[in-house]
Amino acid sequence: MSPSPEPAVGDELPRMVIERVDAEKMKTMAALLADSNPIHWDVDAVRALGMGDAPVNQGPNNLGYVMNMLGDWAGGVERIRHIRVRFLDNVFAGDRLEAGGTVTAVGDDGAVECDVWLARDGTHAVLAGTATLDGQPHVVDAGHRPDH
Amino acid sequence: MTAAKTTPAVDELEALVGWRFPGGTYTVEPWRVWLTNDVIGAPQRTDGIAHPMFCYYAAMAGLGISIDEMFTLCGASADDGPMFGECDVQQLRPLEVGAAYTVRGEITSAVRKEGARTGVFDIVAFQLEVVAPDDQVSSVVSNSFIFPRRPS
Repeated sequence: MSPSPEPAVGDELPRMVIERVDAEKMKTMAALLADSNPIHWDVDAVRALGMGDAPVNQGPNNLGYVMNMLGDWAGGVERIRHIRVRFLDNVFAGDRLEAGGTVTAVGDDGAVECDVWLARDGTHAVLAGTATLDGQPHVVDAGHRPDH
Repeated sequence: MTAAKTTPAVDELEALVGWRFPGGTYTVEPWRVWLTNDVIGAPQRTDGIAHPMFCYYAAMAGLGISIDEMFTLCGASADDGPMFGECDVQQLRPLEVGAAYTVRGEITSAVRKEGARTGVFDIVAFQLEVVAPDDQVSSVVSNSFIFPRRPS
């Protein structure tokens, strides 16, 4: 997907949907990051902390989804010049997420500023922030996009 | 997990500002790139460009201390329930698969706050530079952790 030829303030970025957050992928990420926190794989640990009944997604994964949404729109994640987010709530295995955003400014050099968000069921915000995308697109190999 | 320490006094907390991490190196290994792309649902690319999440991963892996050690430095432990505050990633140029990066940085702020609902908590922020083999900064990553300070 490519950005509209001339993004304008107020444009909604195409939403990206993650139908179901996968607990098995949290295990892979825990191993990749050497993350010792059991809330990412041990449901008993999550329950003992009173956090619910499903593993908690790693915060950086949630940021990664938003970056993917931006990359889908902009023609590649390498066009993300700057992104700043706050983590507002946990994401759990099985959650359905939507990532989206709104164009807030377009610079003379074509750089695009956006508000971005990630929401459970499209309504409950779990991450919010801002991003700046480079004006010059890159040619990228779209490659393979795994299902979630 | 590291044992919790006594909550630092405000002046002890503020003295953390300017503390420099030992730093280290991080190589963007192709297998890590593949698995990370699979986890976060990003395309598997063939052009040697790593996903911008690797700016974050490189910075955190190159701190030179573990996250548990960082919590200890801040007078906390994982048992205290520290949380991510903000995450700020500047991608000055994309990281390259296979390249080895140097990481350097320091704690940039440390403040105590109190909320009606949350009680007393500290916010410790730090900034890290991810430096390419040609000595150019590829990424600047700023993060903060929130440390609840529950009464003991």
